[in-house]
Order: sequence, then C-alpha cells, then structure tokens
Amino acid sequence: MRALTYQGPYRVEVENKPDPRIEHPQDVILKVTRAAICGSDLHLLHGLVPDTRVGCTFGHEFTGEVVETGREVSQLKKGDRVVVPFNISCGTCFYCQRGLTGNCENSNPASDVASGVFGYSHTTGGFDGGQAEYVRVPFADVGPMKIPDDMDDESVLFLSDIFPTGYQGAEMGEIKGGETVVVFGAGPVGLFTMKSAWLMGAGRVVAVDHVPERLAFAAHYAKVETVNFKEVDDVVLHLKDMFDGRGPDVCVDAVGMEAEGSRAHRVLGLGLKMEAGAPTVLTWCINTVRKGGNVSIVGVYGPPWNFIPIGTAMNKGLTLRMNQCNVRRYMPRLLEHIRSGRVDAKAIITHRFSLEQAPEAYHLFAQKRDGCIKCVLAPHGHA
Amino acid sequence: MTTKTQKTKAKAKSHSKRRREAMPDRPIPGAAADLEPSSRPGVPMEMEAQPLAGARAPIEPQHADVPVFKHAGRKQMPPVFGTAQPPKGLSGVLRKVAYGYPDHWARHWMVLLVADRVDVWEHRLRRSLPWGPATVAALVAGGLTWRRLSRA
Repeated sequence: MRALTYQGPYRVEVENKPDPRIEHPQDVILKVTRAAICGSDLHLLHGLVPDTRVGCTFGHEFTGEVVETGREVSQLKKGDRVVVPFNISCGTCFYCQRGLTGNCENSNPASDVASGVFGYSHTTGGFDGGQAEYVRVPFADVGPMKIPDDMDDESVLFLSDIFPTGYQGAEMGEIKGGETVVVFGAGPVGLFTMKSAWLMGAGRVVAVDHVPERLAFAAHYAKVETVNFKEVDDVVLHLKDMFDGRGPDVCVDAVGMEAEGSRAHRVLGLGLKMEAGAPTVLTWCINTVRKGGNVSIVGVYGPPWNFIPIGTAMNKGLTLRMNQCNVRRYMPRLLEHIRSGRVDAKAIITHRFSLEQAPEAYHLFAQKRDGCIKCVLAPHGHA
Repeated sequence: MTTKTQKTKAKAKSHSKRRREAMPDRPIPGAAADLEPSSRPGVPMEMEAQPLAGARAPIEPQHADVPVFKHAGRKQMPPVFGTAQPPKGLSGVLRKVAYGYPDHWARHWMVLLVADRVDVWEHRLRRSLPWGPATVAALVAGGLTWRRLSRA
C-alpha cells in the first residue's frame, strides 16, 4: 500500500509499505477514507517526540471502511464506515472502566505516559497511523464509532480527536455560566475549545494567537474577541487589563510545545532540547488567569520536563487540569452537536489533498501558509 | 456600619450580577446547551467502574515475531501493542538500552532522542549505499581518463 512515512526531522515521504494485517483477534483493518493532519503531528515532523522511528506512518485522525475483521470482533463487519478515536483503548482496564480511555494501560508497552495512539511514535505504543491507504485498528469493538448513513465522513472526521479535545479543554475549565475564558491558540483545537466554551455557557471568550488569518477565522467561526500577542507590549498585562485587571476565570492552553512568543524557551526547548519544547503558553496561562482560576491544558508537551512557574500557580491558588482526551465518551454527545447544526465541524477544513500530496500538505500546514487551518487527505480520492 | 459578612454577600451579589451581564446574547447557535454539567460527557471525570460497551475480557495476548520493547518500570507486556518499525542497527541497540530504564528517568528519554538521530543517519547511509559503488567507479574512471588526457 501507499503510506506517508517519516524520514527524519522536517522530512516525510509517501512510499510503498506492506499492507497492515490482523495481529490480534480484536483487530480490524480499515480502508482509510479520510485522514487529517493534526497540529500534534507537527511535533513528530519536527523530531520533538522521542522514539519517532524512520518509516513511521503518522495520522491519528481518520475515518475508514472495514475491510477485514479479527475473529473476536462482533460489533463491526465488512463495509461498515467508522470514525476512530486517536486513543487505543481496551475498555476493560482500571482506567478504561472509569472512562479514562486516554490512560488505557493495555495498549502501550513503551511508556506509562499515555495509552496507545495511532501513528504517534513508539512512545505511544508503536502503532502505524492512518495517513495511508489502510490501517490496523486494535480493540475494534471498543473505540470506533459507526458513522450514521446520512452523514458524510468529513462531517464526523474531527470526532476522532480535535473536537473532543477542544471540548474537554473547555470542560476542564469548569465553566458554570458567565465565566470569562481565554483560549491560547486559534488552531483547530483552539477553535473547538472556543465553540465548546460557548456551549457550556461562557460569558466572554477571547482567542490569542499571532497569525492574523487564524484570528480572523476564529472571530468569524467561533464569534470570539481576538488578541494578536505580537501586536501588544505584554500579552499577560494586556489580558489582565481586559478583565478588570485580575485576569480571566479560565485559561486554556491549546498550543503545546512549539509555542511562539519567548525566544528563551524556543532556544532552550526547541534548539538545545534542555526542556521538552517551549512552554510559553502554559507560562502565560498561569500568569494571566485570575487567582483561584482554572488552567486547562490540552496542548501536547513531551517528556521529560519543562520550565514552568509552578510557584506562581501555587501562590495564586490555581487549579490545573489536563489530560489526553478520553475521546470515546465524547463522541455521542458531540455527534449530536454536529447533527443539530450547533457545530459545523467540517467548516474548518481549508485544504484537501490526495495521499501523494501529503508532504506538501505538511509543509503548508506547518508554515500556516495560504490561510491554512486544517488539511485533510483522501487516500482513495475525494468522492 | 456593615459587617464583614454583609460586605462579602454584597460582593458576591455584585459578582454574580456582573456574570449575568456578561452572558452574551447567544453568540453561536446552541449557546449554553451544555450549561448543565451533567450534560457534559466528561463530568464526573472518573465514572463508576464498569467495562465499556463492546469490551471483551480476558484479552488474548498478542504475539509478535519482531522485538518489541517495554520500559523497565513495567512488569509485563500489555496484551496489545504495535509492531511497526522494529528496532535495528545501532539505533536499535541504543533503544534497547533506553528501554532498560524506567520511563520516569530522564536518561530513558535522552537516550531515545539520541537513538532517533542515529536512526536518521543510518537510514540515509542505507539509502545511499546503492549509489556508493557507482560513485566510486565513476570517480576512478574519471581519474584515469583525466590522467591519460593530461599525459597525451
């Protein structure tokens, strides 16, 4: 089959690979119909995630059609169309039983940091991802959700990761009604966090980024106020001033380890690898949010450590909440939001590519060129 | 003279009023549809323990015909794992060393990062191998031709 493969930092190619096969009785093989490129795939592309091996196929946001089933699979059959959570979850372990499928302990031998994840290095289990013609999906009766017959794949594609992740980001902010929320990052996850904050009854939502096109898109798509941090002297003071000098009730970090905004963090984290990326946004969140407020982290950070002002967080009495998204439990409710028209998830797709064009798509997305918000690949063509 | 409690109550009332005033006039369709925390799928964060729909136990252990590492802090292999890109070469040796340390040790991650860079160079060398003999032959032939021409 044809598949995108990692060739080293900043280099991906599309090449021939052996087709995936059933390796466990609870596996299915999917013919991938749509695969999105996620912002966190860029951390892999840039060589920031340990144990990203040459030849690894990325892609943890995908839909597909079942073409082969393992002998223990009972809920899916050939021809079923499914959307697949990025976490690989057994459904029976201590964590899965409590709904924490993003912390499953039965799918990743390499680390206790996270569950198995499709196409996200050997740190998350060494599974190939969905930016390919076919993909192996373990625990197929637990994770994948059948796509309703009256819905197209692109409408539900983002239930695989970014919509639930954004929703969980707002949810961890513990919005009770009327709160002020600042979302750092107007990328795809940030956009869904903003929408979700409104769904939960936020009183005021502000997006912070430095890409004018993204801020304009956020203002239009999520109906939020915007702040370009490169156009203000001090983003923390500016945001505090916007909220009575105290700061907002909730800050959400929807950026993660490759944040702009601090030369020191970029040199230390991205250049010298003395910390796991640049935690600039997390630092801003802690410094900006009001005392007693909530900081929610859905941006991805790698191991083993980062320099963040934990003393400030302690002295301000902050609540810090974070996790990989427990995608499966969010899918039914968020499907309702899409179906009812409250959230037009596929409206954030700005670019569509064939699988062969995937390297070009990566570079366009990484450089945020051409107003790019979200790229989607169609490994078997755009039907 | 107002007491401290009265002041606190007045402050709370004003805060709550401020919040109500801040509530937008339906900025998006369905705004506040999930205002009630019980309508949110992730609340409470930990649910009452029960197997998820479709889950099957016990899980049959997966077999692999390639080496798959587990980190030293883990007692046994999980029943399911990935087998993509098995370790090989010097990078494979380094990765084996890294997985000999538990994943809360910094050296586990540092050795993995080194292994990643070695992997890239190994891969580039392997790719260039078919070109190696041809390049050497072309250089030798070119050198001999140059020598003959310069003697003539």
